[in-house]
Amino acid sequence: MRQLKTVCIIALTGSSVLLGRSVVADIPPHPDKITFQPLKFEPPDPQQYRHTLSNGVVVYMAQSKEFPLINMVFTFRGGDYLDQPDQIGLASATGAMIRRGGSASKSAQDLDEEFDFLAAQASTSAGSTQSSASLNTLKSNFEQSFTLFMDMLQNPRFQEDRLEVYKSEVIENLKQRNDDADPILSREWGAMLYGRDHFEAAEPTQASIESITVENLKSMHRRIFHPAAGHLYIAINGDFEPQSMLSRLEQALASWAPGEVAPQPPAPVATLTPGLYYVEKDIPQGKVAIGLRGIKRDDPDYFALLIANNILGGGGFTSRITNRVRSDEGLAYHASSAMIPRVWYPGEFRSEFQSKNATVALATKIILEEIARIRQEPVSEEELKIAQNSYIETFPRTFESKAGMLAVFVTDEITSRPKDYWKTYRDKIRAVTAADVQRVTQKYLVPEKMAILVVGKWEDITAGDDRANMSVFFGGKNTQLPLRDPLTLEPMN
Amino acid sequence: MRRSRVLVMSALIVTLLVGPAWAQQVQVEEFTLDNGMKFLLVPRTEQPNHIAAGWVAKVGSVNERPGITGISHFFEHMMFKGTTTIGTRDPSKDAEFMDKQRAIHEKILGLIWTEQYKRYKAGEIDDPWNPVNDTPELAKLRSELKNLVSIQQGTKNAERIAKLESEISNLKQATPPDAARIETLEGEKKRLDAEQKAAATIVKNEFDSVYTRLGASGMNAFTTNDLTFYFINVPSNKFELWAWMESDRLRDSVFREFYSERDVVHEERRLRTESTPTGIFEEQFDAMFWESSPYHWPVIGWTSDLNSYTREEADRYFNIYYRPNNLIGVVVGDFKPAQIKPVIQQYFGRLTPGQQPPPPVVTLEMAHNAEQRLYAECDCQPQIEVRYHTVPFNHADSFTLEMMSGVLNDRTGRLYKSMVEGKKIASSASTATTGLGGPSKYAGYFSFFGEVKGEAAPEQLEQAWYEELERLQNEPVGERELQKVKNQAAADAFRRLQSNFFLMLQVGYYEGLGDWRFINESPAKLQAVTAQDIQRVAKTYFDPKNRSVAIYTRKKGTGEESLEELFAKLDEKQQQIASLAIYRLEQFDVENLRKVMADVSADSKQVSPNVAPALRYLIRWAEKRIAELEASPGQKKE
Repeated sequence: MRQLKTVCIIALTGSSVLLGRSVVADIPPHPDKITFQPLKFEPPDPQQYRHTLSNGVVVYMAQSKEFPLINMVFTFRGGDYLDQPDQIGLASATGAMIRRGGSASKSAQDLDEEFDFLAAQASTSAGSTQSSASLNTLKSNFEQSFTLFMDMLQNPRFQEDRLEVYKSEVIENLKQRNDDADPILSREWGAMLYGRDHFEAAEPTQASIESITVENLKSMHRRIFHPAAGHLYIAINGDFEPQSMLSRLEQALASWAPGEVAPQPPAPVATLTPGLYYVEKDIPQGKVAIGLRGIKRDDPDYFALLIANNILGGGGFTSRITNRVRSDEGLAYHASSAMIPRVWYPGEFRSEFQSKNATVALATKIILEEIARIRQEPVSEEELKIAQNSYIETFPRTFESKAGMLAVFVTDEITSRPKDYWKTYRDKIRAVTAADVQRVTQKYLVPEKMAILVVGKWEDITAGDDRANMSVFFGGKNTQLPLRDPLTLEPMN
Repeated sequence: MRRSRVLVMSALIVTLLVGPAWAQQVQVEEFTLDNGMKFLLVPRTEQPNHIAAGWVAKVGSVNERPGITGISHFFEHMMFKGTTTIGTRDPSKDAEFMDKQRAIHEKILGLIWTEQYKRYKAGEIDDPWNPVNDTPELAKLRSELKNLVSIQQGTKNAERIAKLESEISNLKQATPPDAARIETLEGEKKRLDAEQKAAATIVKNEFDSVYTRLGASGMNAFTTNDLTFYFINVPSNKFELWAWMESDRLRDSVFREFYSERDVVHEERRLRTESTPTGIFEEQFDAMFWESSPYHWPVIGWTSDLNSYTREEADRYFNIYYRPNNLIGVVVGDFKPAQIKPVIQQYFGRLTPGQQPPPPVVTLEMAHNAEQRLYAECDCQPQIEVRYHTVPFNHADSFTLEMMSGVLNDRTGRLYKSMVEGKKIASSASTATTGLGGPSKYAGYFSFFGEVKGEAAPEQLEQAWYEELERLQNEPVGERELQKVKNQAAADAFRRLQSNFFLMLQVGYYEGLGDWRFINESPAKLQAVTAQDIQRVAKTYFDPKNRSVAIYTRKKGTGEESLEELFAKLDEKQQQIASLAIYRLEQFDVENLRKVMADVSADSKQVSPNVAPALRYLIRWAEKRIAELEASPGQKKE
C-alpha cells in the first residue's frame, strides 16, 4: 500500500514537470467537477422514415452509405401463441423451416448454396409474439439475393428430408433440457407464473415435434408469413436509393396474397401460488428465482416501477441487491432483479442469483430484506438521481444504430405504443419521486405474494449456515417440484 | 439451373475482385504518449452522440505462474474498487483498515500453508482451506478479518438492523400497532445505522455510480489467457469523464475488499466451471492439451491459488503489467481526434512508465509424442472434441486454417453434408480455430466438435472427422467451394465494422495480440489462400500425435428415463399390451416400423389415459429399434 502510494505521488510530480503545472492544475479533483458540453438530443420522428406501399404495408427506411450493405427485416404478427396445445413447437418449426426447406424454384440444398455463395445472410424465425424474416446482403448482389429471399418467403418448399433433420436436431436439444440448471429454473418458473399451457411457458415434447407434418408447416406459414396491411412491417437500412427500393418492394409484394391479420396474444389465466419451491439437482451452487406477476408495459406505474427496480436490483453494481449480496457478502457472482413488463397482459418481477448451497438461504434472506426495506423507507435522493440519470443520459442510445432505431419504430407500431412515448420519455423519468417509488413497491412487490424457486441440492441448501437456513421462509413449508422427463415433460420419479 | 449458377458465380467474382469489396480500411489514428502508452483513435459519425472507449493491459493468465494462477482475472475485479478519491470518504483511515487486514491475512496464509497443509498431507483434514477445518487460532483470525471488513464497508450492524426491521414490520401489521415499541425500535435502528456509517471508510461501488449517473453504460471488463480489456460506452460529450476515471484508477488504484472479493470469484468459478454440464472437464482437457505452455492453467485460476494471493504479489504484478508502456487505449465513435488528443495527453500523460519492460513469455509448448484421450461422463449429450496444436495469431498459415474451417462449416459446409444430412450421426458438427477470447498470442489450436444424433456413438463422429480430414489431405478443395468461403469472408469484413463498440473491441484486441493492422490486412490474406495451401496445412498440422481427443458420454440417470425405467412404471395390464405389441413389431423393417409408429404417434393423443403410458413406451422402443436397424449395414436401404 505505502509503496504503491509513493509511486503514485512521484507519478503526479513527474507529469506536472512534463506537461507544465497549469495543465495538471486543470484536472478537476473529482469527476463531478468536470464541465461537460451540453448534449442536445431529440428522439427521431418515425414519420420521416415511414412509407406505405399500395397494399397498405408499412415500410421504414434509413439510408447509410458507410458500407456497401443492405439490411432488411420483415416483421410479422403471430408466433408461438398460435400453436395448438398438442403441437407446441409448430410456429418455431415453421419459422426455421422456411429458410431451411428450399423454395418453389430451388431445392433446399441449392438455395443454401446460392445464399452462401452470394455471402447473403438470410434468416427466418418465429418468436413468441412476433415472427421475422431478414436479409443482409452486399449492395452489389442485392437483386439476386432479394429474388431468392422473396421466392423462399412466399413459396417455401418445406423439403421433407430437411424437416426430418430439423426434428432430430430439436429432439437432441430437448434431451439436454435438464443438463444445466438454468433451463430447469426458467421452465418451472414460467409454469408457475403463467401456467404450463400458456405460450410463455409451453414447451415442445418429442411427441409434439414428431407430429409436425409439411401440411402443418404450410398452414402455419399461411397464418404468419403473409403481407397483410397491419400484419407485416418492413424495415430497411443501408446503402440503397429509397425510391427504387420502394418500387422494388411494390413489385415483389404484388403477387403475394395477404391473409388475415393475426389476433393478439392471449393472456394467461394461471395465478401464482406463493410459497417456497425447489427442484432437486446435484450441483455445487443453488440457482434461485424470487418474484411474482407484475404490470403491463403501458401501465401508468411503469416508470415508477422501472426506477424502483433499478434502485433495488436492476442497476448493476449501484443497486442494492447486487451491492449487498455480491459486494458486501461475496455470496454470488451475479445477483440482480428485473422488472419485465408484457405488452398484452401483466408481466413479472423477478430477482435471481446463484450461490453455493450453504449460503442460498442467506442470500435469499438479504434479498427479501431489501424488498421489505424499499417498501418501508423512501429511497434516498441520491439513489433516485443516479437511477433517473442512468435512463436520461443513455436515452440517445435507443436510437443509436439505424437498424436499432427502425426496430423501435416497428415494435412501437405493432404494439400501439402511445405516439408521444419517446418525446416525453425523459420527462416521465424525471417526474418519478421517492414517494412514487415507495407507493409502487408497496403495491406490487408484496413479499407474501411471491414465490421462491430453487434448483439445486436441497439437503445442503435447506440446512444453510449459521446465519440463515431455508426454514425461515413461508414458515418452513416447501414444495418439491418433480424434475420432468426431457422428452415427454412428464414428471419423473 | 446449372447455367444460371455459373452466371451468378462469374458475375460475383468480378464484383468481388474488381470492386473495392475487401479493400475497406479502418482509418486508425495511432499515437504514443511519452510514457509509452499507445492510443488508437477511430472517429466515426455513423452512430451520433456515442463513443465506445476501452483500454487493454497486455497481461493475461499466460503471464502467471503456479501459485498465483488467476491473479490477472482477480486484478480485473480489483480495478473496480476505486482509488484514494473514488470509493472512500477517508483515504488515510481506509488505508489503516487495509494495513490491518493485510497483517491478519498474512498470518492466516502462514498458518494454512504450514499447519493446515501439513495436516492435509497427513490425512487429518480433507481440505486445508475449508473453514470447517480451521484450528481455533485460525478461526479467530478469520473472524477478526471478517469483522474488520464489515466495519470498513459499513455493514457491521447489518444483521441486527435486519432483525429490527422485520420486528418493526411485524409490529406494524398487528392491530392495534404498538406505537411506542415501534418508535423505540426505530430509534435503535437509526442509532445502529448511524454507528456503522460513521465507522465506515468505503463508499460502496462509487466507481460504478459516478459513471452511471453521468450517462455511461455497459461498463465491464474481461480477462483472457492473453490480455485484460476494460471498456465502456459514454455519450460523446463525456469523453473527459472516461479519461478522468480510467487514468485515475491506473495511477492510484486501491485494492479495497482484497480479501472479500475472492468469495465473489469463487462463486464465479462455481457458476462458470463447476455448475455447467461440461465446465470441469473442459478445464481438465485444456490442462491436458497444453502441457508445457502457460495456457495450461485456467484463466480463473486454481482454487488453492485464488485463496493465496497476497498484497505484495498484487503490488508487484501491478508495477510490472499495469504500466503505460504495457497499455493500449482505444476510442471509437463520434469525436474529432484533434479535440480529444490533448485530453488524453493531459490525463494519461500522468502515468509513470515501469522501471523495466514486462518479462517475455518464455515457455513454448513442447511437441507432443503421442495422442492424448480424455473420457468424461457428464450431464450432457454425448459429444466429442478433437483438438490439434496449430499456430498463433497472425501466423502465415492462420489464414489458410481459417479458410479450411470455412469449407467445413455451416449448412453448405462439408461436415453438415456428410455427418448431419448424409450419415445422420450428428446433430451438430463444426470446426473452429482459436479466436478472440481463447489462447492465441503465443500458440493456437484447431478443433473439431460434434454432438451425436440419437444412438450414434461419439467414436463414429470421430471416425467421420478423420475421413473428412483425409479428403482435405488427398484432394484440393473445389474452386467454387473455396470461392464461396472467400465471398463470405469479404462480406463479413464489412459486417464486423458496423458497431462502434465491437470495432473498439476488435482494434484493441488485435493490438493486444500484436498488431491492430490485422483488421485491415487480414481480408486480403484470406482472399489469397489457394486450394493447394489448404491441402498443405491439412497435411502439416493434423498428425495423430498432435491431437487430443475428449469424449463425453451421458452419466446414467441424468437424461430421459431409460426404456427399462419406463417399462417398470407401467402397470401389469399396460406391460402386457406393450410386450404383445413389441412381439409383433420386431418382425417389421424400418420402413414399415416408421409407418406404424407415425399412426401410433397420431393416436397417442386420443387414447385413454391408462393406455397412453404404454404407447409412450412403444414410441421410445420403436425409435431405438429403428436406430439399431439403420446402424446394421445389412438392413440399410440406401
